[in-house]
Amino acid sequence: MDPAERPFGHDAEFRGLFAEEAQGRLDGLAESLLGLEGTAGRVETVTALLREAHTLKGGSAMVGLPRVTRLAHLLEDLLEPYRDGRAGISADLVDEALAAVDGLRAVIDAAGREQDHEAEASALEERLLRAAARAPAAGQAPAAPPEAARVEVPPPPVAPTPRSEASTVAVPVARLDELVRLVTESSSALLRTGHLLAEATGKPPSTLTEFRDLARTLGQLQELTMRTRMVPVSTIAHPLHRAVRDLARSLGREVAWEVSGDDTEIDRHVLDRLADPLLHLVRNAVDHGIEGPDERAAAGKPRHGTVRLRAMRLGSEVILVIGDDGRGIDVDAVRTATDAGDEDDDETALAGIFRSGVSTAREVTDVSGRGVGLDVVRAQLEAIRGRVEVHNDPGRGCEFRLSVPITLAVVPCLVVRCGPRRYAVPAQAVLTAVSAGDPATLHAGGRPMVMSGGRALPVTDLDAILGSGEGGGQGPALVLSVLTRTHAVRVDALEGHRDVVLKSLGGLLPRLDVIAGATIEADGSVLVVLEPGALIERARRTHRPAAVTAPIPATAVPQGAPSPPRSRRSVLVVDDALTVRELQRSILERAGYEVRTAADGLEALSRLAERPVDLVLTDVEMPRMDGFALTEAIRAHQVLRNTAVLVLSSRSGDDDRRRGLEAGADGYIVKSAFDQATLLDAVDRLLGGRG
Amino acid sequence: MRALLVPVGDDTYAVPVAAAREVVSAPRPTPVPTAPRCVRGLLNVRGEIVPLLDLGALLGAVPTPSCAYAVVVDSAAGRSALAATALPEVSELEDVVAAPELHGALAVHRSGARLVTFLDLDSVLDPARIAGA
Repeated sequence: MDPAERPFGHDAEFRGLFAEEAQGRLDGLAESLLGLEGTAGRVETVTALLREAHTLKGGSAMVGLPRVTRLAHLLEDLLEPYRDGRAGISADLVDEALAAVDGLRAVIDAAGREQDHEAEASALEERLLRAAARAPAAGQAPAAPPEAARVEVPPPPVAPTPRSEASTVAVPVARLDELVRLVTESSSALLRTGHLLAEATGKPPSTLTEFRDLARTLGQLQELTMRTRMVPVSTIAHPLHRAVRDLARSLGREVAWEVSGDDTEIDRHVLDRLADPLLHLVRNAVDHGIEGPDERAAAGKPRHGTVRLRAMRLGSEVILVIGDDGRGIDVDAVRTATDAGDEDDDETALAGIFRSGVSTAREVTDVSGRGVGLDVVRAQLEAIRGRVEVHNDPGRGCEFRLSVPITLAVVPCLVVRCGPRRYAVPAQAVLTAVSAGDPATLHAGGRPMVMSGGRALPVTDLDAILGSGEGGGQGPALVLSVLTRTHAVRVDALEGHRDVVLKSLGGLLPRLDVIAGATIEADGSVLVVLEPGALIERARRTHRPAAVTAPIPATAVPQGAPSPPRSRRSVLVVDDALTVRELQRSILERAGYEVRTAADGLEALSRLAERPVDLVLTDVEMPRMDGFALTEAIRAHQVLRNTAVLVLSSRSGDDDRRRGLEAGADGYIVKSAFDQATLLDAVDRLLGGRG
Repeated sequence: MRALLVPVGDDTYAVPVAAAREVVSAPRPTPVPTAPRCVRGLLNVRGEIVPLLDLGALLGAVPTPSCAYAVVVDSAAGRSALAATALPEVSELEDVVAAPELHGALAVHRSGARLVTFLDLDSVLDPARIAGA
């Protein structure tokens, strides 16, 4: 390694800061580049772009990242010929510059985490040199050779210059989380102090002006602290614009992008988790919704289609709408493909596109162009306690409406008692409560049922679901509903509503599907928050009578958990390298497994949607969707969640291993330690014996 | 070498003084349904939610009978609390008198009249190990 890369020990910290700041600048660069394709203000835009690239160059030189310095310099070279506004800006140039921004992002991200980034940097450097060589000879000198770039010392910025507003500072999210924790702790301490005061003075503490003032101030502080984690929706709008533009260009469609309400604020954690589903929906809109220019003209529509993002706040939720003016969804095709009865109205039939309709997904795609991956979108939204609906206007377009909570940190909950224990259940999933006074337990099909709103629902005691054996199960039943499934859960008592500040259980405990997190109560005790979706899943498994065949829809898939013995166990091999894929296939096939393959995470998900497997063997780094994201998607999936996942990585770092296990992988093998015996041993162990 | 001694029933374990954050007396953990056996529950340690772990169950030895104290420790995977049956104290570890039999133990030392098993916390408090105990 170049010794200049690690001149001082303390550079690591500054590199992290630089990386954080640089990501903001790169966002700005990408945004301006997209604007460059329009017509107005080219000279100003190019000047602004050059300025941003230059600042990156200076900053990276200061923290000792020569590769980044050189890349920023090459980006400047690429754009320099267009500074005077005489040379025309081609879409190809924008492509190259956008690719450079993406590459710089990856290199800086790796550098910020002190990871090796030589390979990416070299590849990008070559690409930039080639692109600059193709630039018009508009009087400007050709791209400087790399040697020249190396010796040049760019002027460091005079002072750290925040992006647009001078009144903004970048604060690490971890510090904000710490702030929230401390404020919450102060509020608990205040309540305890109140109790002590009441004991000592014999008067309620609210009669003391000083105590009231402190309580009010702390309340305001808590609200403000929560708001520091909010970011505007616009931070996610630019990458979406980019996706629309790139895809439209590659498909030869003309697509305009419209945004409104993007100043709506939302918790950064929620917005991060929305990125994938939104990207999926806008890509679908461009790919399947918007018709080609000629087809549009023939239908009397403008030649260019429009994809819209609208955001608005509604109470404690944010509504995000992705709409297009394309051909809409062919409801009859969906009806046929999902076996929906003719008596179903359009809306009910249309809802079928979100079903993990495994065997039918392929047909939906072929006929209407929609349906593939929408079950994944639904699962991703469900994971952040959100919902998705579709509104269809055949021939004129369609709209996907996503509702998500403004923040994941505060969850409105019902507090229930079960034996000596108390639990919180997110209120969003509770349809209603059926009181204990209703006719004693009914039975149907060998399982206990309750009546709710004219429907008989299966009911299971909470303590039976949790396996705690502590509850009497004599109290009311909560009717839980998560998407298509509804199940009643009997508790001992309802104790009321509570807005709960949700915290994770930390990195030491394994993922527990029935637990959403925990919170600290006013008296300092810990209250466990349950996960309604998993409660329903477990309830269905807990109480399935052996003799009675449960009505399983034709499209349902055998559950992965205690699956019936099969003639051959199946494995899905996911790797973007053909050689690795085929090597693994031959090893596993010789050992008697049935093997299918996929080249990345997204393809793997659609393979699994066609037919599930017993085990997924996946690489980590892959285009489109990496192995961690794939593992997470499998774990979040209603049907596939019990599939065994074995991660095979080229990196041996503990961080990667931990990330894999956190994502929900069952095992982790390092490629360098990979051989036939290790692989078969791991697969056999996870599947409990050879297939 | 000085270490913090964590009494667990008849056994005594030792952890590096630098890893120990604080000792909580009479902890009241909230049980976690469906968690592995070694997880005694969750504690509120200054506003942070920390799992209380049973060293006996975690090491495959005798499960901890009761929990009078909790020792809050930091390890590679995060913060946790270890259940102790008597007051933990700082003490000098003397010569090594036996090789450890438990996975994750570094050595068995003498400390005064006691035998003390010195632990490698990163190995004992490994998430994969907790998941399986």
